[in-house]
Amino acid sequence: MKVLIIIPAYNEALNIEKTVKDVLANTDYDYIVINDCSKDNTKEVCERNNFHMLSLPINYGLTSAIQVGMKYAYQKNYDIAIQFDGDGQHQAKYLKDLVQEIQNKNCQIAIGSRFVENRKPHSLRMLGSNLISFCIKLTTGKKIKDTTSGMRAYSRQAIEEFVKNPSLTPEPDTIVYMIKRGINVKEVQVEMSDREFGESYLKPIKAIEYMFNMVFSILFIRSTTKKKGGK
Amino acid sequence: MSITLRVLLIIASFFSFLLCLKRIKQAKLKITNSVVWMLGSLALVLMAIFSNAVEWIATKLGFIAPVNFVFLVMIAFLLMQTFIDNIRISTLNEKIKELDHYIALKELEKNKEK
Repeated sequence: MKVLIIIPAYNEALNIEKTVKDVLANTDYDYIVINDCSKDNTKEVCERNNFHMLSLPINYGLTSAIQVGMKYAYQKNYDIAIQFDGDGQHQAKYLKDLVQEIQNKNCQIAIGSRFVENRKPHSLRMLGSNLISFCIKLTTGKKIKDTTSGMRAYSRQAIEEFVKNPSLTPEPDTIVYMIKRGINVKEVQVEMSDREFGESYLKPIKAIEYMFNMVFSILFIRSTTKKKGGK
Repeated sequence: MSITLRVLLIIASFFSFLLCLKRIKQAKLKITNSVVWMLGSLALVLMAIFSNAVEWIATKLGFIAPVNFVFLVMIAFLLMQTFIDNIRISTLNEKIKELDHYIALKELEKNKEK
């Protein structure tokens, strides 16, 4: 099976080297760094290390970075594409577990989840996560515990959905879309570390806007997705 | 409707009509986009000329003053315009993103050939 690891990076000069080396040390999959027109020297760091990098000329955010990665995976006939944060929060040693799940045909999307075996801590962040969980349960009947996890493996079928529908984001509402399309989603226990340097894509000020968008999208847009084949 | 309002409506629509024509000549506005604005200004003129009809409709619909009806029509027109513009911006956004991706993928292939 051909596996591609998509590593979106925006202003991650301090983290990207460590992330890619972690991936190289723990897996033998192909990878691609998507430099989303970073303002710092992310590009130079990648070039210096001779990393496999795709550099976007215009900054369009995380969604666009993942989408272009999916397009690449589709064009190059990869069977599995994994989104993997470039900020050092994800640990590459768990990538094999995600691939394994898809290979064993247990699911078509495997989510690296922090809360399969472990309990969720109580925090404002987790309150948001619970709300999204509840919305997903409400619309699909499926329990997804770690909805906001950015570590997800997609099978060929899911990659195709991504390429064909430009409105899909690497966010929880896409999970609802995929489930509605008849794609099987499963969570796999992983651990995540706290980020060491730089700013997250999801700043606290934007968190409320994010929640509104997600809840709205899940409840009113994605919930009406038709199953593949049916019209 | 007062005579002042009617005169004002006619003057305003006259100027917006002229502005549209000027911009089209300067090729800053596409003809298809300007048609809506011309129709809008035309509607203003019609409302000013046939103010009796406007008053009749306004009373039938239960407006306190006919001028409120004129405002409502204008607001509805503007809301529609902003909505259409919003759709246009989204489409453009999507197109630029496609280009962004296309360029990046091409560059990647070019770099590999080297």
